[in-house]
Amino acid sequence: MPKTLKEVLAEAGSPMDFESGGHSPKEMVDREVKREPHARVVKLKDIYMDTLSSANNEFPYWYTREYVQHDTEIPVVRRAMSLKSAFSHSTPVIYPGELLVTHKAAFFRGSFPMPWLSEGYYMAKEDELYQEALKHGSASADEHTKFGQGGGNVVESFDKVISIAGKFGMRQEEIPALLKLAKAWVGKSVDDLGHKYEQMVPDYAVKEALMRNVICMFDSGYTLPQGREVINYYYPLEYGIDGLLDMAEELKAKVAGRADGDGIKGTNRLFNYEAIILSLEGLKTWFENYGKEARRLESIEKDAGQKAEYAEIAERLEWLSHGKPRTFAEAFQMMLTIHLAVLNEDAISGMAPGRIAQVLYPYFEQDIAAGRTNEDEVMELLELYRLSMSSIDCFASTGVVGGVLSGNTFNTVSIGGLNKDGGHAVNRLEYLLLEAGLNNPMPQPTLALLYDEKLPEDFLLLAMECIKTGVGYPAFMNNQIGMTFMLGQYGPEGMTAEEARSWAIGGCLESSPCCWKPLHLNGKEYFVPGGAGQPTSVGVHFLAMPKILEAVLWNGVDQRTGEQVFAPHDRKLATYDELFDQFKLYWQKAVDVLALTNNIQHDIWRKNNMAVITSMLKPDCLDRGHLIDEKGYRYNATFNVESAGTITCVNSLAAIKKLVYEDKAVSLDELKTAIKDNFGFKTAEEVNSFSLSDQEQRDGDTGKWDKLHFMCLQAPKYGNDDIFADQILLDWENFFCPDCRNYESLYAHTMYPCQISVSTHGAMGSATIASGDGRLAGTTFADASLSAFPGTDRSGVYALLNSAAIWDHSMSQNSQLNVKIHPSAIQGPSGSRKLLDLIQAYMRKGGFHIQFNVVDTKVLKDAQKNPQNYRDLMVRVAGFTQYWVEIGKPVQDELIARTEYEGI
Amino acid sequence: MTNLNCRDCRDFAPIDVVKGVCHITKTTVLGDAEQCGDFSMMPKCKHCSQFTADAETVEMGVCQASTMEPKFFAFPDMVSVTCEYYEQN
Repeated sequence: MPKTLKEVLAEAGSPMDFESGGHSPKEMVDREVKREPHARVVKLKDIYMDTLSSANNEFPYWYTREYVQHDTEIPVVRRAMSLKSAFSHSTPVIYPGELLVTHKAAFFRGSFPMPWLSEGYYMAKEDELYQEALKHGSASADEHTKFGQGGGNVVESFDKVISIAGKFGMRQEEIPALLKLAKAWVGKSVDDLGHKYEQMVPDYAVKEALMRNVICMFDSGYTLPQGREVINYYYPLEYGIDGLLDMAEELKAKVAGRADGDGIKGTNRLFNYEAIILSLEGLKTWFENYGKEARRLESIEKDAGQKAEYAEIAERLEWLSHGKPRTFAEAFQMMLTIHLAVLNEDAISGMAPGRIAQVLYPYFEQDIAAGRTNEDEVMELLELYRLSMSSIDCFASTGVVGGVLSGNTFNTVSIGGLNKDGGHAVNRLEYLLLEAGLNNPMPQPTLALLYDEKLPEDFLLLAMECIKTGVGYPAFMNNQIGMTFMLGQYGPEGMTAEEARSWAIGGCLESSPCCWKPLHLNGKEYFVPGGAGQPTSVGVHFLAMPKILEAVLWNGVDQRTGEQVFAPHDRKLATYDELFDQFKLYWQKAVDVLALTNNIQHDIWRKNNMAVITSMLKPDCLDRGHLIDEKGYRYNATFNVESAGTITCVNSLAAIKKLVYEDKAVSLDELKTAIKDNFGFKTAEEVNSFSLSDQEQRDGDTGKWDKLHFMCLQAPKYGNDDIFADQILLDWENFFCPDCRNYESLYAHTMYPCQISVSTHGAMGSATIASGDGRLAGTTFADASLSAFPGTDRSGVYALLNSAAIWDHSMSQNSQLNVKIHPSAIQGPSGSRKLLDLIQAYMRKGGFHIQFNVVDTKVLKDAQKNPQNYRDLMVRVAGFTQYWVEIGKPVQDELIARTEYEGI
Repeated sequence: MTNLNCRDCRDFAPIDVVKGVCHITKTTVLGDAEQCGDFSMMPKCKHCSQFTADAETVEMGVCQASTMEPKFFAFPDMVSVTCEYYEQN
């Protein structure tokens, strides 16, 4: 039997199964805190647990049917007519026991393709459309993506169910319609039109090579053009559908034919208001149709209790189809339906509800005071909400849904933070929201706690209890750092310190600009926060730093494919400075060409496929009469540059600097030969494990690289409070963050850095040969942007925090640090206290984000062997929580390998 | 009304592509299960007088109510609960 790396290193006296801060018990240890939701929720959750991700063609059918009829119409009106038709014809489906209703499609976990965005990726692999997508790189990431084999994923076709994009099931009877609809959009989709025009960028060949070689993970313009932002529910809550229709009609009349000083887009306002009206009419019908279905169910129901509930649901929906919410339940229903409506407008991940406990608080406060509801009823709705949000699927390509999202859609709810006046924003409903996360642990919505020194201690300790359930939330985000970033990025667009306090997390970890709006309920005014910015994590998405370094070492050639990606630099790389300088030059080349091509994709999107519903919700589109495409949003400087593999790259640079340039223990050429030869090991694909420790030496390997490999593994590593490696991180951040300002989005704003990995560290690692830090070919990168590479942070968790906080996090939209802790390390009240101390220490050092996996690694290993026993096991992956069985093997392997802290 | 199953029933709430909840019995049933005595037909294109089946592909057809030329396609299994053109055969 070939030896694994773990065995080789154990023999060398440097075991990899390292436990930090103590030793875990030999037996498997479960998580300390466990609770149960209401009985109704348990019943519905049982359905969810046995539900397959399912797709149908109803929405795209009606959208396309309407669209093709109006080819001479103004684009924004044509789009709205299509949306109206699709919403009006969506079949309502209500399940017994539901209180909050509406679903994306007529399934419990339904979704549908949007061929107007992209149509090639879900075709059969032999189809010419798919082959074309592979050729120009837009499907390359799919080839390096592995879905989890369990849970709701339909990874293979069976009986009369066809697996699409490796994730969604569709009835065989609908496949001809799927193909017909897809082919109707060939040459017209954002993907196809974008591709036509992006080729006009002079260095387009570089862009295509970057995509084909998975140096960049995906384009944003046609994959997930909206999201990673905070929605705004204010307008429907304040005015209701009829109020908004009246407002839009009035404003339409006011601007019809008037330029009002803007000779280019002033008159567009007429068409924009018309589009808003059409969309609202579609939503109105959607509400009405759900109301009719509830009435129908009421009419056939024999159980008196259920019959009364259907009647209550019907009344609520009938009211909301025109009026503004009057109660907590009505407001919650409005919020959920509007959220799903936005998600049906585009392929979207990361449309965060934002600070909902602050938005819903007026209704909660008044209903409780009037005795219209009680906390138990509110809790039941909050638990049901978690079920609704966890049921949201996004129909997109394999590479996007699996390789980036791991099946999650990042509808993050933020809690904590400050109110408009600068006091803490925690209210009673926030406690209940957190409790609901404890009672009904499900992946969504994940919770982001905006940590501020002003937050109440008991609230923070409740958050510790929640973390101890192992759900991975709430993640902690530094409120003051977030506000500093907001003011720096959005100050030029007019953001004030007061408005900066309204910020929240969009997507899983994307700080997003928000604003305050005055909500009125029964004569009382409340200022509620809500999103006011365009999508973030659009622009340059997931640029793999280790692969750029590989290109530097090999004169621009990708070593996995042999393709010349960058023009040869022909430099000798005689010094570390020369090497790092070239790294920066290749990085800039990649970012530049990707920024330009993505600008073109987004430009096509904004011209033909612009957001109408999301726009209508976002200040100040309704007031101004301009939608997203005309910068109607209050904040438009949201495009960013997203890095991946930061710590793998930092560690590789540290090893090269130490071994080649300082100690001269090996020549650069010899090190490159060893890396190319994968240090004598098989590839991860051959071993079928993506964890470094499981890698096996090749049969017949002579061990000639063993010593050098050992030296690479022993070279200074980030995460140990060792300035040698940490300085490289600091140098990188001090280059990367300001460098983003050199690139301009299509909205003529400079970009900024975004530093999260989501799940790309798995897929991109799979496409990367070995690296200077001793990592082997095909294994995952270090996760997140500030997590240590598994097993390399050997100096305690506080040393890791010191390394992470070496740079100024407020220069970036985010940073990300995941820590895995054994449940026994934080047991009891003293354990909770220790955990909170640790978090506060990091926040006070200036760290932006930290989150925890509280789990025994032995449980994860057992779950990988016996997935059938672990359907409900959840883990924190990156900025999100997901069911273990729905995560692909590369990321599972990486989660197992992460350093487990036995004591803090 | 031959070859109709639970998926064609008005009281079948589809959970996913395989199964659904029966609103009458409150149980989970397979969509392809045979219809029962409580069967109530779900409006679908295949039951609509405006639908003309395709001669070659059984899963396809044309909606004669479509106002464009050529008429827009339709597919027999599509639910027509919300369709303003639906006229039961």
